[in-house]
Amino acid sequence: MSITPVHYIAVPLAAAFLIPILSKFHKETARIIPGLVFSYFLVISFVLMRQVSNTGIISETIAGWRAPWGINLVFGYFSGFFATLMSVIGFLTWLYSYRFKLVDSKPAMSYYILLMMLVTGSIGIVITGDIFNMFVFLEIVAISAFSLTSFYPGRDGAEAAFKYLLIASFSSFLILLAVLLLYTQTGTLNIAELSTKVHLIPQSLKLTILVMFVVGLGIESELFPLNGWAPDAYSQAPAPVGAVFAGVVVKGGIYATMRVMFTMFDINEMGQILLILGLITTIIAEVAAIKQTQVKRMLAYSSIGQMGVVMMAIGIGTEDAVFAALFMMFNHAIIKGLLFFSTGFLLHNSLTKTIAEMKGVAKKFPVLSFMFALGSFAIVGLPPFSGFWSKLYFLMAAADAKLFSMIALVLAVSIVEIVYYFRVVGVMYYHQPDESLPTKQPGLNAYFVMGFLAALIIGVGVYPDLITNFLHAAAYELTHKTEYVQTVLTQFVR
Amino acid sequence: MCSFDYQTIMSISIYGSSVVLMLLGLYAVLVKKNLIKIVIGLSIVDSGLHLLFVAVGYLHNGTAPIFSPEAVDKVNQMVDPVPQALVLTAIVIGFATTAVALSLVIRLYKHHKTARIDQIKSLKW
Repeated sequence: MSITPVHYIAVPLAAAFLIPILSKFHKETARIIPGLVFSYFLVISFVLMRQVSNTGIISETIAGWRAPWGINLVFGYFSGFFATLMSVIGFLTWLYSYRFKLVDSKPAMSYYILLMMLVTGSIGIVITGDIFNMFVFLEIVAISAFSLTSFYPGRDGAEAAFKYLLIASFSSFLILLAVLLLYTQTGTLNIAELSTKVHLIPQSLKLTILVMFVVGLGIESELFPLNGWAPDAYSQAPAPVGAVFAGVVVKGGIYATMRVMFTMFDINEMGQILLILGLITTIIAEVAAIKQTQVKRMLAYSSIGQMGVVMMAIGIGTEDAVFAALFMMFNHAIIKGLLFFSTGFLLHNSLTKTIAEMKGVAKKFPVLSFMFALGSFAIVGLPPFSGFWSKLYFLMAAADAKLFSMIALVLAVSIVEIVYYFRVVGVMYYHQPDESLPTKQPGLNAYFVMGFLAALIIGVGVYPDLITNFLHAAAYELTHKTEYVQTVLTQFVR
Repeated sequence: MCSFDYQTIMSISIYGSSVVLMLLGLYAVLVKKNLIKIVIGLSIVDSGLHLLFVAVGYLHNGTAPIFSPEAVDKVNQMVDPVPQALVLTAIVIGFATTAVALSLVIRLYKHHKTARIDQIKSLKW
């Protein structure tokens, strides 16, 4: 049996059903099986990426109905980049939280199952070739995310999750309405066939559909007026889930936005609006991050700010800008992962998780504090780290598009970013530690995960060619949609 | 005097009631303070959207979209099966969302001893 994209969805779903049964016989299966699934994700990603580089985009038919009629899965460089990134972050999160448990072992099982569903749903968004199927996967992600946000009964998780649920229901309503309007106008739900038929839609209706998609997907990808859920959800969910929100869930939302804007429609129709929305998002989020006293809320606002810059890059819409956006998302996933993972242990026993409680932690946790500092330096874009290159490529793409005032604003906002990250690093290194707080030393698995991410940040920073060829191919594939459309629609010939 | 035939009145009433349901649900979500009423509102919005889906696929005097020897010449009269398949999926998703929402309401009530949304505000930016 050869490996095909459907394994990304079928294997974890089967595992999610099996875990509650098997854990009756042996308690450890609840944490081992998700690990096996995430390892298998890595194998699938590796095999499929090799196959894509040999034979081009893979399009898989589900249930024997070929492309415009049935549901199909598409795996090219662009989808593959996201799927691989999500697999890696999912695997690292599992390894990091291997010892994760509450007082009794039962809730931990639901943690692992929900984590697996969160990653599976996001990968499903990325590999599906059908717009309604994409909506279904968005809902799988959303429902897992609500449950993980309200995971700890003691915190305010239920409030955060309810806010998230209200705004996500509005998002799903808009996306579903947009899908229905598209179907009534074109009579198809296949993304490739839609892209050949959108010119049939009257201009005014097309704008309505586009606005619905921008607002609906903007909620998932943390665009400005729609991102009220993000800081609450990030701060109330367990720390490793924060890394998954930043590295996987938001990436799914951005992917959906890019697929709709570039492949289905033409980016020039909405590019200006995305540019302005992204700019407002970045400025407001970075300014709001300064006044945060909780570390995880600060990281959440910084995450929103980064997504604003990504949205600006998408709005510019050239191949170079898309390349910068992808590079930035890669960096954001690994750096935010490192920051959330190290924060998880630095503030393990604190309930409020404020910055003041990080006083002098560098004396107690020299390695963890170094990891956090490294992540802070990388995310503001200091040269030897990978964050520098993505910011540079973004500014170059913006300069090519002659958006000089925007460059000035982004650079000014970067200074704000430096202020609030370095403030935390300063508190960690230049204050006397508070001896009364209990601490918890991370295990070897957590050190390995953080070491791997740190090595990746420095490795890509010193030698960006490790991934740039791959990202160039992905950006080319997205901005030249002919190959995608032809591969999907001429499937039966092969 | 203008007169409407049966079909026009039917389609206006179906599309109209779906829009009314959606607006009614949105009103409940935005204005009501009780968490349970908000969840009911979300459910009503979903119902309106589902009705719209079914209405789009509806044909007056249409038949079920099943190919049989008797129905081969009736292809033009068959209702569109795709929106019906979509609406089934959407109903299941709406059910899951409502279930999660209600469980969250229970937990909020236990935690805050109230189900009024204006009295639950420990999280703010």
